[in-house]
Amino acid sequence: MATDWQPGFEQLPDFERLFDEHQSMVFSLALRMTGDRGLAEEIAQDVFMELDRNIAKIESAQHACFWLRRVAMSRSTDALRRRRVRGSGQWVEIVESHLAQELDRDSPLGSRVEALLATLPEAQRAAIVLRYQEDLTPEEIATTLGAPLATVKSHLQRGLKLLRAKAESKLKEYIRAV
Amino acid sequence: MPSEKPFEHIDEFERELRHSLERQPAPLSLKHKVMELRGPQRQVHVAGVVERRLQNRGQILSIRSATRRHSRMIWLERIAASLVVAAVAGGAVFGHYADERRRGEEAKQQVLTALRITNRALDLMSEHLAEQDNQKQ
Repeated sequence: MATDWQPGFEQLPDFERLFDEHQSMVFSLALRMTGDRGLAEEIAQDVFMELDRNIAKIESAQHACFWLRRVAMSRSTDALRRRRVRGSGQWVEIVESHLAQELDRDSPLGSRVEALLATLPEAQRAAIVLRYQEDLTPEEIATTLGAPLATVKSHLQRGLKLLRAKAESKLKEYIRAV
Repeated sequence: MPSEKPFEHIDEFERELRHSLERQPAPLSLKHKVMELRGPQRQVHVAGVVERRLQNRGQILSIRSATRRHSRMIWLERIAASLVVAAVAGGAVFGHYADERRRGEEAKQQVLTALRITNRALDLMSEHLAEQDNQKQ
């Protein structure tokens, strides 16, 4: 639950409180975007250090949440780009390791859906994560990502369709194996 | 027995997706690292920001105080001007009534003087008639 504070002259937002409230959000966004726990932790660390530097600009709890989402998504995208530049082989390894980790979880169906998410194109994945992890509307997603609303809606539709097709195919394999 | 078509409805799939994408707790080491990185420079930064805000507040307070003083002066000036206008108007009304009374007094005196003259003339006329009556007798 976000906490409101009144913007005052000598009152600054409590960084530690913001950290405690939003650390799982930032970490989860980075994890779902990159598929790598270590990298997600690094991204979350960068995001919170950025928040620390800009904390005087934060106006409210809602603003802090919006700001953190936006920076987390932006940093995750940057990390993915850097990784693409270094080479695609590493990406495959990371996805596979993430898949392996996720398959060990309690709910095989749920974990497979989450793991399949990592195989979606980046823009579709970002829209899907913000829609289903953060429960944002397409308008809010468009604002967070700084993208046109029509593009976001298209990414959501295509991403969901692709994910559904992949999930059905993978689940059939899973059911046959069981 | 699991169904052959697990996601008959898109809502079911979306529910499953939402469930799968619940937020995960961040590693405990994250907080430790971030707090360590913040460290002393953050305290200096926070102190600087607070100091700047206090300075700004001081300036704003002095501006507010000056504004209040200015506003108070304007009100005092307005009250003084109102009193002067009221005094002038009262004086004018009082002067008007005093003038009216003075004119009334003058008119009264003129009437009284006219009555005295008439009375004197009638007395003279009466004496004159009385002398004529005595001469005839």
